[in-house]
Amino acid sequence: MDDILKDIWTKVRKRHFFPELPPPKYDQGESRVGLDIKGKQITISREFVEKMALKLDQEDVLEGLLDHAVSHYLYCPWDLATHLKLYAEAKNVLKDKQMAQIATDYFIDIVADTHCVSQFDSALINLYRQLDKGRLDEVAHAALQRIWGVDLGVQGHTDISRKLSRLPYLDRKHWTESIRRFAGSIQSFLENENKQSMGANSSNPMGCHTLGQYSSQEIEEGLTQLANEAATPNDFKEIVRDFETEISEATRLGEEAMGVGPGHSLDADILYYMKLAENYLLPIRKKHMEASGSLYPHHHIPWEIGHPYQDVDPWTSFGKLMPAITQSWKRHEGEVFGREEGVPDCVLIIDSSGSMTNPRQELSYAVLGAACACDAYLRNDARVAIYNFSDADAGGRKILPYSDNRRDIYRTICHYFGGGTRLGVENIETLQNDNIPDIFLITDMQIINLQLLIQYFNDCENRVTAVHIGDNKHVSEFRRSMDLNPNVGIYAVEEKSDIPRIVLGKIRDFFY
Amino acid sequence: MRNPFQDFQTVSFRKKKIPLSRIVRAKQEVMEHILEGYLHLVEAEAKDFVWLVEQSRVLKTYNEAVNHVQRLNYDQDDIEEFCGELDSSNKVPYMIEGPAGIYVSALVNQLGEDRVVLRLKDYHKNFHLLGYRLPVGKTLILQGDIGDFTGAGLAGGCLVVEGTAGNWCGAGMMHGEILVAGTAGWKTGEWMKAGEIRVEGWIRGIGQNILGGKIYEQGKLITPQHRGSQ
Repeated sequence: MDDILKDIWTKVRKRHFFPELPPPKYDQGESRVGLDIKGKQITISREFVEKMALKLDQEDVLEGLLDHAVSHYLYCPWDLATHLKLYAEAKNVLKDKQMAQIATDYFIDIVADTHCVSQFDSALINLYRQLDKGRLDEVAHAALQRIWGVDLGVQGHTDISRKLSRLPYLDRKHWTESIRRFAGSIQSFLENENKQSMGANSSNPMGCHTLGQYSSQEIEEGLTQLANEAATPNDFKEIVRDFETEISEATRLGEEAMGVGPGHSLDADILYYMKLAENYLLPIRKKHMEASGSLYPHHHIPWEIGHPYQDVDPWTSFGKLMPAITQSWKRHEGEVFGREEGVPDCVLIIDSSGSMTNPRQELSYAVLGAACACDAYLRNDARVAIYNFSDADAGGRKILPYSDNRRDIYRTICHYFGGGTRLGVENIETLQNDNIPDIFLITDMQIINLQLLIQYFNDCENRVTAVHIGDNKHVSEFRRSMDLNPNVGIYAVEEKSDIPRIVLGKIRDFFY
Repeated sequence: MRNPFQDFQTVSFRKKKIPLSRIVRAKQEVMEHILEGYLHLVEAEAKDFVWLVEQSRVLKTYNEAVNHVQRLNYDQDDIEEFCGELDSSNKVPYMIEGPAGIYVSALVNQLGEDRVVLRLKDYHKNFHLLGYRLPVGKTLILQGDIGDFTGAGLAGGCLVVEGTAGNWCGAGMMHGEILVAGTAGWKTGEWMKAGEIRVEGWIRGIGQNILGGKIYEQGKLITPQHRGSQ
């Protein structure tokens, strides 16, 4: 049986132009469901194959199952973002998670199998003909009969199959529209099934499509894409919440990358800004750092006995180890070589007063900009301290000391106070250290004690990147006051596309 | 000498065709014709993007719509899809609700099928004048909330609204039956001559000028016994 699987897999791979998938394997699954895909690994139920082999050639069963699985990988849903988008559309129509999942499963099965059948003579047709069918399977197979032009042994369901057969399944551009109509058309069947308790008995014989079929990396990429395409954080949250367990499990290893780890519940808001920030890689202007005490090769001197061998420069020594011929490096901790470029830590000051957008309700450019800045510093192995303020004197402030824990950082920047706007310069001062961190400020500048902040920036040596959301008289005042200060770079953000223009720590050109 | 290209032989490839492409293409052609008729109607009727509901104008628009749709070969799925196109505005540059509703009504009335179900609940836009002049022997089931003038001028058909109906429901209906599962708006049954309107929910107000027929609210007959606004 295993040899047959190997032979069939070779044939199927060739037919599908050698997809990058590991060889399939058998498992002792249940007899109703033939396939399971987890992290690209196709697993075939031995019991299912044995049961189907009573009605059909074993080769045909395997070929059909493998064609089905490979088509999912190669055509539909193709990636997690597409899968989630289809699910979101189905859920918009059906308003129920379970029904939306089932509708999505059937839709992507029809698309993948139709693609397969439209390309080559697949054993899928024979397999479908012999499958045990539930009521929904009958509906789907009745539609397949029409669009494939074959007899799959289904009687009735004329109206619904006529409706379903009109959808352009092979037109990727119209998938979202098609699944809406698909879900609407089968809604009454889904509701009936729901009443008769959809459970293991009605599971799709070709396997269900869970997020488990994607690798952790695919999930991360899918979420990044989804965050980028979602109009508001709520759109993203709606989908992510439905798959909270799967996403948490899949990203458990990625505490660094995703910010969610074991024992933590998934905070969709944080995840949204985290994944969205990954779409914008902000550049950081590196800074000359103080000497760390290391010695650097400065010039050559003739090597003499007693000098350390590790300083010998073989390239200028003609391959010889002889006094007066062999050259050795003289190391210096000189001024010139004792300074190197690096990225300092960053103090991020974010305004979350009432005049700013609540990041949990709408897309907040301030939080997104801050998230991008944090991401940039963390990617350069620097640490970030956060000062999130509203009316600081009235307790509206949240301070996170220097940290490289993305989860804590993003949680602090996503915090929204919504009160007045007054910052405490003394709080920022406590975050200063000897290495002179960069300061990143993001606000609409409607700060009561803005003059104090201007004075502080004029006095401090830090590189300051100030980002203002919107434009108002306070912004003009801030710009005017900072005009002569070469340490301060000011950027305006009106929309998402302004964010990539920010260059962190960019000191004005004439400074160099 | 061995031909170095002998492994690169031409392989004949026969592209497989399944009925799906034919079905989709045929459906697209029908939809293009339906849209063409609608655009023609709108251009003729609402040049200034203003369209007033006047009896003579409604009738004229309806007749023009009928003239066009009579030549088409379509089914109820095409009508539903056309409603979807009107809602999403992908192919329709402008949707003027009056002519749109009349055009949909003409499509329904001229269709060979006796029972037509239109699922409108997923759409964002309002459809007015649906069920206009629905003829005898035809049942139209509208799923979702519907706009104004639903079932206006009903001509003996059975109109079922599985949702709420707007104002002027059954205005000028000649005979037939309107069943509304939800509520109905102001001026329900205005100028109706015969037939029945049954509203399972409440009616915001019935018409001032009801010439005949019966109106039921939550199973209770409210006109002809009680006339005037409630």
